[in-house]
Amino acid sequence: MITLNHYLFVSGILFAIGLTGVVARRNILTIYMCLEMMLSAANLTLVAFSRFHLTDGLPDYNAQALVFFTITVAAAEVAVGLAIIVALYRTKHSVDVGAVDNLKG
Amino acid sequence: MIESYLPILIQALIASGFAGVTLLLSVMLGKSSKRNAMKDSAYECGMLPLGEAQPRFSVKFYIVAMLFVLFDIEVVFMYPWAIIFKDYVNTIGHDIFWSMMGFVSILLVAFIYAWKKGALRWDN
Amino acid sequence: MNPLNIELGLGVLGLLLLLAEPFLSSSRKVLAYVAIAGLLVALLTLITSGGSMSVPATMQEFYIADALALFYKGVAIISTLAVIIISLEYAPVLNKFVAGDNARGKEAGLGEFVSLPLFVCVGMMVMASAKDLITIFVSLELVTVSFYVLVSFMRRSAMSLEAGVKYLILGALSTGLLVYGMAWVYGLTGQMSLDGIQKALVNWKGDNTPLLFGAALVLAGLGFKVAAVPFQIWVPDVYQGAPTPITAFLSVGSKAAGFAVLTRVVETFTAKGSVIGDQVIQLLLILAGATILVGNLSAIAQTNFKRLLGYSSIAHAGYLLLALACVHQHSLAIAPRNIVAFYLATYLPMTFLCFLVLSAAKAQGVGEDLKSLKGLGHKSPLLGLALTIALASLAGLPLTAGFMGKMFVIFAATYESNYLCLALAIIGAATGFYYYFKVILTIYSTPEVETEKIRLSVLSKVMLGVFVAAIIVIGVYPDAIQHVLVAAVK
Repeated sequence: MITLNHYLFVSGILFAIGLTGVVARRNILTIYMCLEMMLSAANLTLVAFSRFHLTDGLPDYNAQALVFFTITVAAAEVAVGLAIIVALYRTKHSVDVGAVDNLKG
Repeated sequence: MIESYLPILIQALIASGFAGVTLLLSVMLGKSSKRNAMKDSAYECGMLPLGEAQPRFSVKFYIVAMLFVLFDIEVVFMYPWAIIFKDYVNTIGHDIFWSMMGFVSILLVAFIYAWKKGALRWDN
Repeated sequence: MNPLNIELGLGVLGLLLLLAEPFLSSSRKVLAYVAIAGLLVALLTLITSGGSMSVPATMQEFYIADALALFYKGVAIISTLAVIIISLEYAPVLNKFVAGDNARGKEAGLGEFVSLPLFVCVGMMVMASAKDLITIFVSLELVTVSFYVLVSFMRRSAMSLEAGVKYLILGALSTGLLVYGMAWVYGLTGQMSLDGIQKALVNWKGDNTPLLFGAALVLAGLGFKVAAVPFQIWVPDVYQGAPTPITAFLSVGSKAAGFAVLTRVVETFTAKGSVIGDQVIQLLLILAGATILVGNLSAIAQTNFKRLLGYSSIAHAGYLLLALACVHQHSLAIAPRNIVAFYLATYLPMTFLCFLVLSAAKAQGVGEDLKSLKGLGHKSPLLGLALTIALASLAGLPLTAGFMGKMFVIFAATYESNYLCLALAIIGAATGFYYYFKVILTIYSTPEVETEKIRLSVLSKVMLGVFVAAIIVIGVYPDAIQHVLVAAVK
């Protein structure tokens, strides 16, 4: 039987992988994928809590509404983010985080 | 519960087993020591490989992909809306219709903006 | 009147401006004037019908229009107005880095540059009223995603793009932390509204560790937005690279809206009887102390004025967090949420003055380094005087607005008996005097090369006058704002 804890465990692992990737990776696109993974982890948590938090035999739809908004926001972030990364690539010819080091002090 | 995943496990085993066995057979039966330029070239469905391994895509693809992602994801709100529409149109009234129209008109503004800015033009 | 109408109106105005941009053949400055007119109408509506705002029953679950919300809505509108006026000064720089070789007009990008701040304004106004996790998230993201575009707006400037990428990655990271934290808080309490969460926290039985985990993640996510240490790493770089009007917007508008949400969230977590109240206050105090210390000490060595203002913005976030953490003191007649609001009201004019001068200077060929500002006080005496007043107020000189803000925070910390944080706050204030007055000395020193006099448009002059007057009036007679805050409650 798969319980709430299983879902929370998987989403926790997903979140941890995403966070590690953001911190450890050097390619901006990979970092971006890891960020999306963190959002997916949050979505999984929300859906799991919603599914196991029954009122009158129905799941709590508030959480699922938040999931919809998270998905949309993630898409908007991807679109804007990719545009910025492409523009950066055109000026720098690199997507390595080491290449973005003009601003210091 | 967990037993229902058994077919998936079996399928995964068969799939990976088939791939492994095929690779193993080709190493054992084929004359793997003989190499020539034709043999080392990339395999593209039997055609001669064209161009570089990592071709550069035009930035137009990215723009279209971005616009696609933006306009595609909005359906996420339209499906639930369409499903509950009939149940709620009597209780909430026409607001439920006009709120979605407002949402769509925002998208329309974005679309007209993208169009006028030439983001959808392929030539040039 | 439904307060959401103002937000909707501004949103529609933003969309219309965006739509008008590609069709318009005349000067793009018209769009900016329309935006300014629209914002003025919104501000007037907010002020005249502030008392009679009522939220429809269907929205009351997630939307509130109390005094605090109305105050932060006002802050959002005024910041947006100031940003658009500064953008007009900054337009030549913007044009240089946006227009390509085959630019169609002389004002490429100005149209989008005035409509996007309107969307940010709508987001900030909804944030001020949000009392539900979903509303908080959506409005916060409207602000953040618009800011991604605005920060990297000068797409031919490597600095602006670099700032954009840094803001993008750290902003998205904070979003991830925030949503994951929200998921946990929701999952454990079963509630999406802040009221429901507060009730659940008071009646919680059993282990509170998971709750604390969720709450800490939410605070971390919001900490990014208001630039609290250790989530402040993006601030100096982004502030330096972003177009100057946007730096000002980030520094005031984004911070104010972030604190509006943070005030409500912290009040929920630390409500009387909440099982995680004490730990959350401890966490806030640690953040506040570290933020004050890091912000002030790093500012000392800066040679770039924008970076210096970035660190100063971090330091001010520290004072604001400290004020927010003083929930137990009842000796002071003013509640923590009002101290924060007051502090932000004083912070708004002084920060915008600095960035207005910086924008005008940059547009007319003066750099952003401190040494290129040498002699500003002699060449343009009025501008120099305004900048001096703003910097003195940022430092907290008596008889300026900044002094009253800092004083309230220090009193609150004293009554709360947070002597460590109090000591840090006083050390920070003393350091502030050093680096802000260093800038004032620079302005009045003799330059090595002759510079041109910096000219301002009429709108900017009006803004300059209003903000200088605000700094002095609030400094001499602080009741002015307090009246606004207190009267609105009654």
